[in-house]
Amino acid sequence: MPIERVKPGVVRVVPRKLTVAERLYIPKVLAGMFVTLRHLIHNLLHYKKLPIISYPEVKRIYSERFRGRHILTTREDGTTRCVACYMCSTACPAECITIEAGEDERTREKFPVRYDIDLLRCVFCGYCVDACPEDAIYMTRDYEMAIDTRARAVVGLRDLVVPPNFPIEPMGWRPYYGSLEKKGTAGGTGIGQPIRQAPYPDEAPPNPDLYRGA
Amino acid sequence: MSTLTKYSAIPYTGPAPTNREPYLPTDAAKLDARGAEIAGRVGAERERGQDLPTLIVSKERIVETLRTLKDDLQFTLPLDLWGVDYPEREKRFDLLYQLYSLANNERVRLKVRVGEDEPVDSSLPVFKGFDWFEREVFDMYGVRFAGHPNLRRILTHEAFQGHPLRKDYDPAQRWLCTEKDVAKIIPKIDPRFENVDTDFERVTLNLGPSHPATHGTLRVVVTLDGETIIGAEQEIGYLHRCFEKSCETHTYQQAIPFTDRLNYMSAIINNVGYCMTVEKLLGLEVPQRAQYVRLVLSEFMRIADHLVCIGTNLVDMGALTNFWYLFQPREEIYGLIEACCGARLLPSYTRIGGLAVDVPPDFLQQSQRLVNMLPKYIDDVEKLVDRNKIFLDRTVGVAPISPQDAIDFGFTGPCLRACGVPFDVRKTNPYLGYETYDWDVPIAEGGDTYARYLVRMEEMRQSLRILQQAIDRGLPPGPVMVDNPYVALPPKERVYNEMESLIYHFKLIMHGIQPPVGETYFQVEGGNGELGFYIVSDGSKNPYRVRCRPPCFAIYQAYGRMITGQTIPDAIAALGSLNIIAGELDH
Repeated sequence: MPIERVKPGVVRVVPRKLTVAERLYIPKVLAGMFVTLRHLIHNLLHYKKLPIISYPEVKRIYSERFRGRHILTTREDGTTRCVACYMCSTACPAECITIEAGEDERTREKFPVRYDIDLLRCVFCGYCVDACPEDAIYMTRDYEMAIDTRARAVVGLRDLVVPPNFPIEPMGWRPYYGSLEKKGTAGGTGIGQPIRQAPYPDEAPPNPDLYRGA
Repeated sequence: MSTLTKYSAIPYTGPAPTNREPYLPTDAAKLDARGAEIAGRVGAERERGQDLPTLIVSKERIVETLRTLKDDLQFTLPLDLWGVDYPEREKRFDLLYQLYSLANNERVRLKVRVGEDEPVDSSLPVFKGFDWFEREVFDMYGVRFAGHPNLRRILTHEAFQGHPLRKDYDPAQRWLCTEKDVAKIIPKIDPRFENVDTDFERVTLNLGPSHPATHGTLRVVVTLDGETIIGAEQEIGYLHRCFEKSCETHTYQQAIPFTDRLNYMSAIINNVGYCMTVEKLLGLEVPQRAQYVRLVLSEFMRIADHLVCIGTNLVDMGALTNFWYLFQPREEIYGLIEACCGARLLPSYTRIGGLAVDVPPDFLQQSQRLVNMLPKYIDDVEKLVDRNKIFLDRTVGVAPISPQDAIDFGFTGPCLRACGVPFDVRKTNPYLGYETYDWDVPIAEGGDTYARYLVRMEEMRQSLRILQQAIDRGLPPGPVMVDNPYVALPPKERVYNEMESLIYHFKLIMHGIQPPVGETYFQVEGGNGELGFYIVSDGSKNPYRVRCRPPCFAIYQAYGRMITGQTIPDAIAALGSLNIIAGELDH
């Protein structure tokens, strides 16, 4: 559309008058057909680059900052890193985290006896990860959380805690240790790439119960 | 370099958040002088130390004062009207009217103090645009406006008890509101059609609230005479999520995910608007790099917003192909947002004081790729639609609004610019360095659906111009978060290893950011117009009051008038072109 300058910093969009041919409508239909035909031919020739993801056979690759389902990390000795300090539940704007603290008889250290996240309340903002002072809660790149009852949306320690030395490299939103020199895939729409990186190794998914029902 | 530059002990020398002076804007003296001038003209008291010239008006004189301001001082655009509750005061409510002068680029705020059960004169004879705002104040505070023709609840259910934004209203209360309690809405028939005798029976029809053509939970009740709409009334509130009340019960930082859900088509702009308001209250200067990223992502979000608006509007008119062409680049824009912050639609990317994390290393290359690919899609749609006779027949002259009416109703953004009024917050009150870029405000003539389409198309091109210039300048070096441990969380490595950082971290999570006592308003240009946030701080970790000025709210109240005399298909075409986002409309 032609534009004309009204004054500095302001332009006016001026619609053109229709020509006789355009008013006849048929030529414009053909012109429109050409545009769509061009797209059709282009798509046929570049079939592999079609911007289509045939979910669920093909999955979108999300960046390493993706805010998906949470996990609770574990120390090398097998205890959870979480010390039940309630920082995450305080920072949570959706109030979806419920923690009950217990005390280890031997080491006198606090640990969570109950740690529930209501995934239906959760807004996946990542504040819990930012708030954690113990490197205990991460978010994965897992976004497939379909469930069939509301009760199953509340995930507890059994669903959240992962085994020790769990690979954190392919995780989503996690503490960036301030350096921010992490690999990111900007614009990572992942279109046209058939296989996604699994959020965790397929042979050891941490919580099959979440999907199959307890 | 980390988000917070080196502070191993406590190098921060700024003020501690307790015992601070009340908030005083930097140019308070100038604003006070101007306030005195205006107060002299209208004969009212002024309030000092505000971020805008502020007058205190008695409730008897408010209509008269508004009229003087409108007629003599050219404050023609009614921006916002909202309330604040101070229950310990004798006159517990503050009603705040905010006006804008298009001629002088100036804002003014009026405060009216009223007690409980004291009616205030309705300002509708002066500004039609305060219609829904008065209903909202009535709904939220129970302040009655004498002379308002339709003073019903607007955002809450009719059977709702109490007034939710009063401080003594317990937010945990639950009401069971059912369909039974709702009175039937019968739209008032426009006087133009009252005595017209046709062969048709008059039919009242409900459009929405869940209908594919209404793009959100909007409901319009129309009375039809044959195919002509002779009366229409809009009903909103189906997506009311108590945004403002929720902010009062959460900390400043926690409210950022709530702002995502206002205009979910351009969520980053809401994040930026809210964070900049709090930063204004805190007197913070955000690092250059964070400002740059905010600007770039805001412009991308504006483009995405317009892409959705035009795409869905064309779908409503049967042009489905355009929808696919326009949603492809939108998808890519969301890919960039996701790479920055890990979520596509609801990013919550900004934090008070900067950004949550730095952008990924290939941010600029990916932005350049998007800027290169976008014009192709916009051009394709233009080729398909622009001079297509069907499209022109469906849009030219459909649901027009005159510039005077648009200003009177408080229109802002593309809908106002489509009437030929070049008002854009990015030009009039530049923020984030918009004044340093070379770009133009597009306007069009006519104020109809076609003009709104033209303005949005051109605005996307102008946004691309800004983006290209920004990419050419490159990312400024430095941190993306302020170096202030009372605002920004320390880097994690320090939290794990240092006592001071752990204490700051703990204090910030538990006690939040505590801005100085005061109130401030800040506006950004959202996808649909001026998006303003007004925050009152009482010095604690929770905001005392957060007011969001949603641009849709003012625009949608004129919709019934715009479609009267048109047909149902025209009403659908007009609704799409106004770009009503229910999340923003219903708070």
